[in-house]
Amino acid sequence: MQGSTRRMGVMTDVHRRFLQLLMTHGVLEERDVKRLQKHCYKVHDCNATVEKLEDFINNINSVLESLYIEIKKGVTEDDGRPIYALVNLATTSVSKMASDFAENELDLFRKALELIIDSDTGFASSTNILNLVDQLKGKKMRKKEAEHVLQKFVQNKWLIEKEGEFTLHGRAILEMEQYIRETYPDAVKVCNICRGLLIQGQSCETCGIRMHLPCVAKYFQSSTEPHCPHCNDYWPHEVPEVFDPEKERETGMSRPNKRSLRSRQH
Amino acid sequence: MPRGQKSKLRAREKRRQARAETQGLVVAKATGAAAAAGKSPSSENLPAAGARSTSEAPEGATGAIASGSGTSSAENINSPKAESASSPKGTESSLSEILNKKVVLLVQFLLQKYQKKEPIRKADMMKFVIKQYKSHFNEILKRASDHMELAFGVDLKEVDPTRHCYTLVNKLDLAYDSALNEDEHMPKTGILMIVLGVIFMGGNCAPEEAIWEVLNVMGIYAERKHFIYGDPKKVLTEDLVQLKYLEYRQVANSDPPRYEFLWGPRAHAETSKMKVLEFLAKVHDTIPAAFPSWYEEALRDEEERARARAASRARNAALASARSAALASARSRATASSSSQAK
Repeated sequence: MQGSTRRMGVMTDVHRRFLQLLMTHGVLEERDVKRLQKHCYKVHDCNATVEKLEDFINNINSVLESLYIEIKKGVTEDDGRPIYALVNLATTSVSKMASDFAENELDLFRKALELIIDSDTGFASSTNILNLVDQLKGKKMRKKEAEHVLQKFVQNKWLIEKEGEFTLHGRAILEMEQYIRETYPDAVKVCNICRGLLIQGQSCETCGIRMHLPCVAKYFQSSTEPHCPHCNDYWPHEVPEVFDPEKERETGMSRPNKRSLRSRQH
Repeated sequence: MPRGQKSKLRAREKRRQARAETQGLVVAKATGAAAAAGKSPSSENLPAAGARSTSEAPEGATGAIASGSGTSSAENINSPKAESASSPKGTESSLSEILNKKVVLLVQFLLQKYQKKEPIRKADMMKFVIKQYKSHFNEILKRASDHMELAFGVDLKEVDPTRHCYTLVNKLDLAYDSALNEDEHMPKTGILMIVLGVIFMGGNCAPEEAIWEVLNVMGIYAERKHFIYGDPKKVLTEDLVQLKYLEYRQVANSDPPRYEFLWGPRAHAETSKMKVLEFLAKVHDTIPAAFPSWYEEALRDEEERARARAASRARNAALASARSAALASARSRATASSSSQAK
């Protein structure tokens, strides 16, 4: 066909609806993303074959490129589920949150973020976060309010809470990885396998390298005696299972046994 | 010896300041203009009055988070893509580069307004995005709205030419998407369903006093902590409003101010009058038909939803077939002309 070979893809209403709905949800797991894609096809174009998700998303991203926005794929740190979010590339900060939270709330998030990154386990206790309430910018916030704001962060999928401690939700990591790397270059931890930002994970007791739980799962998948990829010492932690979407659908369980994935294994 | 806590924090602050300064060089004009307009670019606070309103600007609050000073996110566009591309720090970007950035920022601004269902005023766009490039407003606006239409299927329309108020209208009919949300988990379902019910029965709008009257009977009080809902007043007036299940607004011309509740857009999308009526009927151990007038209204609502779904399906089917017909004829024309050329 004639015409210039434009790298930019073609957006149809199928893609636009998908984009709008993804934007509404903030972050979605891959299984829901696929459902969403099928739904959008159903609404607009029943007869068209559903494009492969990766190509579908690349198509949309090529149109969004000039706007410094993209649909980014990530993986949850605790059990390796693939997730997708619409991410702002232009501003390397918590801008997505800025429209939903007040100044003092954003500062609370920033304080919690710092504690999480500085911590060894990737978790910051509620107590430690709340003790910083007096240092917040903007309107004065009481500890009771701050507890409530932390819950709002959890509801909006910026933080995850486990047993009174907070860590970053996969969504926050997707949106803010760049910002975090630039702002905390000394404290930031990186996975030895995928080189991505690491908040929760396992670490070698001898040489200190760290790995994401899903990266551990994949790396040691078929080894009977796991050894540290860096210093070759025996790997002392329990190796989690690789995330398998098919298996999950069969058993009907939405989460694998959490006990073995508790990441207090540093 | 690993760095102590204090030295780490000091180094971090230094880095943040340094980043703000180098970026400040490139957009010295912008902060200058901001200072001229009466804001202080070097202050810790955001370049607009009031903490709340600044959260609307894509740049204001990000400035607060990204750096301790009042820099705007316009500079952040320099990193990482643009920075690696061409201009070294400190040199003046060309006008077209700056306009490109403004378009990107305006799109972000419009997206935020769209998601929050807030009206878009020209004055706000000027203040938070366009700034000193006022003479290019029309061009920037046109390009931004083209992007919105192309990528998101959302139209920018001027609703009030005198007050320069715009709104974003979805070209896609979202009525069909309610089917997708069937198994969506509605938070705090019990209290929300009850409140939605009170609103429905109050003629789709209920004064706050009426809501509390009902909830008090159930042992839920505005000023008392609840063992399930925590702070019920906050749940209703903040959480559920933020999650768009409820709308909470002041009763017009009320002095002292009184407030009323309405269904929020997400409640309309995720549930229906019939579902709420069914819930209430169950609570009262009866059936929806036991409330004849509300039952009638709920039935009418169901009919309308079904009609809307059918209409949009028909429209989309017609559009799809029209498009494929046009494509087919274009293709046959092309092959006809190329085959005639080949001869």
